Order: sequence, then C-alpha cells, then structure tokens
Amino acid sequence: MKRILLILLGVGVLLANVAAVQAAQVDFTVGQSAVNMDLFYNGASIPVTGSIPEGALVVVRFIGKIGEVTMKQKGKAMGLLWMNMNTLHFSNMPAICLVESSAPLAGAGRAGEKLGLAGVAESIVIEPASADRQMLLPEILKLKKSEGLYREDADAVKLESAKDGRQAFSGQVRVPSRLSPGEYSIEVFAVKDGEVIAQDVKPIAARLVGAPAFIANLAFNHGTWYGILASVIAMAAGLVVGLIFRSKGGGH
Amino acid sequence: MIPMEFYLPIAGNSVNVAAVFGMGGVVGLLSGIFGVGGGFLMTPLLIMIGIPPTVAAASDSNQIVGASTSGTLAHLRFGNVDVKMGLLLLVGGVIGGTGGVEVIKILRAMGNADFLINVTYVLMLGFVGGYMFIESLQAMRKAKVSTKRAPETHKKASAFERFQTSLPWQMDFARSGVRMSPVMPLILGILVGILSAVMGVGGGFIMVPVMVYLLRMPMHVVAGTGLFQMLFTCINVTVMQARTNHTVDFVLALLLLIGSSIGAQIGVKVGKKLDGEQMKILLASIVLLVMFKILYELLATPHILLAYVGGH
Repeated sequence: MKRILLILLGVGVLLANVAAVQAAQVDFTVGQSAVNMDLFYNGASIPVTGSIPEGALVVVRFIGKIGEVTMKQKGKAMGLLWMNMNTLHFSNMPAICLVESSAPLAGAGRAGEKLGLAGVAESIVIEPASADRQMLLPEILKLKKSEGLYREDADAVKLESAKDGRQAFSGQVRVPSRLSPGEYSIEVFAVKDGEVIAQDVKPIAARLVGAPAFIANLAFNHGTWYGILASVIAMAAGLVVGLIFRSKGGGH
Repeated sequence: MIPMEFYLPIAGNSVNVAAVFGMGGVVGLLSGIFGVGGGFLMTPLLIMIGIPPTVAAASDSNQIVGASTSGTLAHLRFGNVDVKMGLLLLVGGVIGGTGGVEVIKILRAMGNADFLINVTYVLMLGFVGGYMFIESLQAMRKAKVSTKRAPETHKKASAFERFQTSLPWQMDFARSGVRMSPVMPLILGILVGILSAVMGVGGGFIMVPVMVYLLRMPMHVVAGTGLFQMLFTCINVTVMQARTNHTVDFVLALLLLIGSSIGAQIGVKVGKKLDGEQMKILLASIVLLVMFKILYELLATPHILLAYVGGH
C-alpha cells in the first residue's frame, strides 16, 4: 500500500514538473511544411500559431543560412565621381532575416533588441577589422531592407488574452519573392522582463516545383543545351508573333 | 493592367507580367525603328525591377535573338538587309567580342571594372549621340537651302575615303550602294565587338553610327543589316552565357520577347514613315538621355554606399 502511494506521489510530482516546464515553454506550429515556389510564386504568407507563457512578448523570426558576402564600398574619386573603392567581407550574417513581434522590440529590453535587426547587425563581422562599423552596418541593413530580405515588423503577431497561465498567438510570416530555394528556420521567442524566457525553432524548406524546377534543372545541369534551346524557342516565338502580326495586316 | 506575377527561377525573383510586356514593347519599338537591340536601355530597366544585373544582361541577349528574328525578316521582305556587309561585320564582331571578354577579365582582375565601363559608356554615348545629333540637325537645316555638306566634315570624309580606297579587294555592296574593301567592315566589326563586350551590350547603338558614318550606308539598309548582324551575335552570347554563367532566364526572355516582337513590327512601319534625319535625331536623343543618366549616377551621392561584387 505504501509502495503504491509512493508511486502515485512520484507520478504526481512528475506531472506537476511537466506542467511547470510546459508553462514556461514556447509551443507552436507552422501552417505549412514547405514553401513551394511554382510559376505563380510571388512570396508567401506562412501561418504561425502557438502559445507562450502569460505576460510575455512573442517574437517570430524567419532566418536564412548564416553566411558571408563580399561587397565594395562606394567612395568619391578625385572628389567628383562615385566609384567602388575598397573591398569588404561581411560574415556571420543571415541571408534573410524577417522579424515579426507582438509589440515593438525596443520596449522589450536588451533581449528584444538582440532579437531584432539591430542585434543581427551587431553580430556581423566585417573584414578588414579597420572598417568603419558605425557607418557600414546601417548601410548593409539599408541594402538588405531594400531587397526585402531584412524586415522588422512590430505588432505583426496577434496575442490572445491569457488563459491558464498561457497566451495564444497567431501571425503570418510574409516571405518575399526574392527567396533562394534552400533550408530556412522559423524561430519563436517569448521575452519577458528583458530576457528570453523560452524559445523553440522549426525548420522549413523552400523548394522549386513545377516549371521553375524544370527550368532551373535544365539551366544549371545542361547549360549548353539550355542556351541552344532558349535561342531556338526565342526565334520560333519571334517568327510566330511576326506571322500573327502580319496576318492581322498591322492595323495599329 | 493584369495584376499577375510570374516567378523566375534563374533571376530568383518574381516579376509583374504586364510591366515586362510593356518594357519589351517600348524597347522593341525602338529596335524596329533603328535596328538597335536596345540592350543599353533594357538592361538598366530590368535591374530597376529587381533582376540581378548579370541575369538582366544575359536574358536580354536571349530576348534580342527573338526580337531580331521577326525584325530581320520584316526588313528582308522590304529588301533592307545587306547580307554580305552583315556577315563581314558579324565575323569581325565575333573576333572582337572574344577579345573584349579577355579585356574585361583583365579589368576585373585590376578591380573597378564597373567604373571604367561606366566612364566608357559616358564617353562613347556622349560622343556618338552628340555627333549624330549635331550632324542631323545641320543636315536638316542644309536640306532646305542646298545639299552641300559643312567644309570640315567634307575634309574628314575625304581623308577617310583616301584611306578606304587604298585598301585591297575593293568590291561592290549592291544593297548598300557602296564600293569598298571587305577589310573595312571586318576591322570596324572587330572594334565594335571589343567595345560591346567591354560594355556588355549587343552593340547596336555603336554599330548603327559606324554603318551610317563610316561605311556610308543608307539609313534603311543600316537598320535591317544591324538587326541581321545582331541576331547572330546574340545567339552566340546566349549560348555562351547559358553554358558558363547560367544567367539566361528563359521565361523572362520569352515575356520580353512577346512584348518586343509586337513593338518591333510597329517600329518597322513607323521607321518607313520617318525620314532618315528625323530617325537619327530621335536615336541621338535617346543615346544622349542614357548618357546623362549614367553620368548622373557617377556624380550624385548613391542611396546606398555598398554594392555587391559581381559573380558568386
């Protein structure tokens, strides 16, 4: 009898523990398992729903491969003409970084700041080390934002009212059309009192399907044939349009 | 406007179909009128809608293949193509183009090829556009009084003609109504080939003034022969780019092509209605406009002080 009581107690403690851990967890699902890029692909909205501990701010990030990029800094030559001057290498920099949150990150203390674009910029490594970070970091963010690859969107995630110590959230991660096929990840953070109290990450793939997949395969794996085919089809199409136009008698 | 977007796998971006059709149409119209491929206009336009520069240039070559097919045929029907001249220019162009690619390789290795390319653009476009504009203006004014040319141009022409007639194997080019050595178009083709490879365009806007002013061909034959020569140049470029750089976006090219083919057909008819001097002034104005745009970019403070380095 004593033993049974002990076992029951143990199970009770375990369950309580699980519940406590769960209360401090981020729980989320991604509405689609992959981004399918077909002929009509023009960016996508990926639904992300889940729940976080009560009273926290939620940050949803869509992050691409961390890599490096080589750039030229523009400068004035002879005080007159703008030209590309010194070469710079930017590394430890995600190819894409979309940050959506339930409230402005500026109000979420140090942790919130680190999760935003400012935080991403901070961890970028620039070579040569003598380069002017103060000037260059805002420029690289400006460039990436203009390409639609970096974005910070406060109030994009909707937070429901609290229930049993948890708050449900829902949002749509808007992915730009300028997306390379490959592996990405969706990260969800719960931020409270200037600290990340819970986080989770799920992978998502972007892949070419249908006509774009066919064309890309041909172009990258059979380049010469692709070039010849492209020329022949262009000539044929040119002829067909010419014929159509002639048969209409050029009424324009 | 049809609000439809197509995703382009090689360019890695989606584009508005109507916008691409429109751009193709405008550039096709110009190509039909003047016999220029419009690469110097199309490439900057494509970059503006978010196509990477290397893909823009290569896909434009692919598009010009189709555009010049219907244009060339239209001109052939009107008897506006000097095939013999075109072939000689083409052979020269291929030799010069291959050499030009090597020149660019050296420039890139030295760094700042882009800057040199832009300066070359400003100088070439400024010189060609300015000269054409002034010359046509003078000719139009003189046509009302007499047919005599300005004395200085006359002097230059005669010195040039003396050099020309000293070359071997003089032969007739019936369609163009000129007599010269085949060495002439061959050398000029090589020079234009080098320039067009360095500048990364089809070279029609240099080839046309060369045919008008140096080969003394009549304007309507210039347009047809220019398209004919460009057709083969661009087939060569398309296959080369597809093989080595994988930068030809065939869907983009096809979209541009449909727009530009229609534009080119209208252009040929418009070109027949305009007189030669008017056509030259119009082309000169467009060339000068593009020149000023590049010059402005060299002088004005850029929006973003960083640029990607070409190639991957």
